[in-house]
Amino acid sequence: MKKKVKKWLEDGTVDLFLGYKIDCGHPLPHCFTREELDDVDHLVVGETRYSLEKIATHLAKKDPNLKIGLLARDCNQRAINVLTIWHQLDKEKIFPLNVNCCPSPIKPQADCSYMSGETAASYKLQVGIDNAMDIESADAFSDREKNIRWMYEFQKCIKCYGCRNICPVCFCAECTLEHKDLIGPGRLPPQVPIFHLVRASHMVGRCIDCGLCEDACPMDIPLRLLYRKVNTITMDIFDYNTGESCEQSPLSLLGDKVTLSLKPM
Amino acid sequence: MKCTFTPSICSYCGTGCGVLFETIDGRLNSTIPMKSHPVSQGKLCIKGWNLHEHINSPMRLQKPMVKTFGRFINTSWDEAIQITADRFREIIDQYGPDSLGVLVSAKMSNEENYLAQKLARAVFGTNNVDHCARL
Ligand code: SF4
Ligand code: SF4
Ligand code: SF4
Ligand code: SF4
Repeated sequence: MKKKVKKWLEDGTVDLFLGYKIDCGHPLPHCFTREELDDVDHLVVGETRYSLEKIATHLAKKDPNLKIGLLARDCNQRAINVLTIWHQLDKEKIFPLNVNCCPSPIKPQADCSYMSGETAASYKLQVGIDNAMDIESADAFSDREKNIRWMYEFQKCIKCYGCRNICPVCFCAECTLEHKDLIGPGRLPPQVPIFHLVRASHMVGRCIDCGLCEDACPMDIPLRLLYRKVNTITMDIFDYNTGESCEQSPLSLLGDKVTLSLKPM
Repeated sequence: MKCTFTPSICSYCGTGCGVLFETIDGRLNSTIPMKSHPVSQGKLCIKGWNLHEHINSPMRLQKPMVKTFGRFINTSWDEAIQITADRFREIIDQYGPDSLGVLVSAKMSNEENYLAQKLARAVFGTNNVDHCARL
């Protein structure tokens, strides 16, 4: 792997390579360059997972001609596909180096258990939704109970916007969750459940089930399960697996032609 | 193009969550929660998420200013410190040292807090030292 990255950097296949390096005892994202080629010896795959493709979109915004290589777990690869669909990354300029990782509806066999999650405490099991629940058991509650349980989860929200900020496929220049006429920023307590349902509706055909949002949620709200549920719509009705290819979702509200330009910084 | 990631600690409250600063070509571009940080475990509140915002703000003061006749005027650090010291002196002479108080922060380092209380006790001569977490 290190040899390949070095070769890519040396022969100009890529201008820089996003991977991980141990810094201060933590596996942190690191940008490897041709100038510091020996640094590549310290490249690690690491247990932690950052959205390297989101960082790549930041770099592409500054210089659209930059050729970027990056370590790509399955989720990174799916996010790259979605970002390509939405014109945030140029497939020709992105060079993923695939590494093995966590199971997903698209890839059931894999060897990383990073997302296996923690067991919910007894109170949460009693009144809320267990983050490890599958869609079927979450659907099995009666409508009334579902409502109460999900509302228990949503009302914990502290409106940190972490779920949106960390999400690799959330890049809108103007986010509904900050629009003053819809869900203005700074208004507390958060508007539940609309805050979460608006975001969920945006994740249809867009969420690639990486779980970073749930991971970043200080209130342990089962966001991944919620977005999984909305994505069964495109999966069941349209047979579209988000992130599997660079094809636009059949449920695109913006029509066939995506006219979004790169988000201005 | 140069892109670096600098691990740091959020400076907004006493929790001390771990953050990473993403810098592109010397300009702080965004704040990312540090996944493996023992305190925050990859989570942040809204303040931590927006740490980078004020740094690039055009509203940010970058030079010392002194308020003269109701208007702020740029000055040098030496002069600003001298004016502050003179005013402290005046207040202490007129009303006594206990008319001053020093407010420190739960999010400053121990060393900074030590220096602040030293200033209060040894220089001003007051025990009025308190910190924001008790407000
Ligand atoms: S799982 Fe969460 S962070 Fe990942 S793509 Fe879906 S909404 Fe975004
Ligand atoms: S997809 Fe929705 S939640 Fe995400 S950035 Fe865009 S408007 Fe905001
Ligand atoms: S990360 Fe969790 S707490 Fe923060 S805004 Fe999203 S749902 Fe709310
Ligand atoms: S991110 Fe929020 S909770 Fe964490 S140290 Fe900063 S202000 Fe405190």
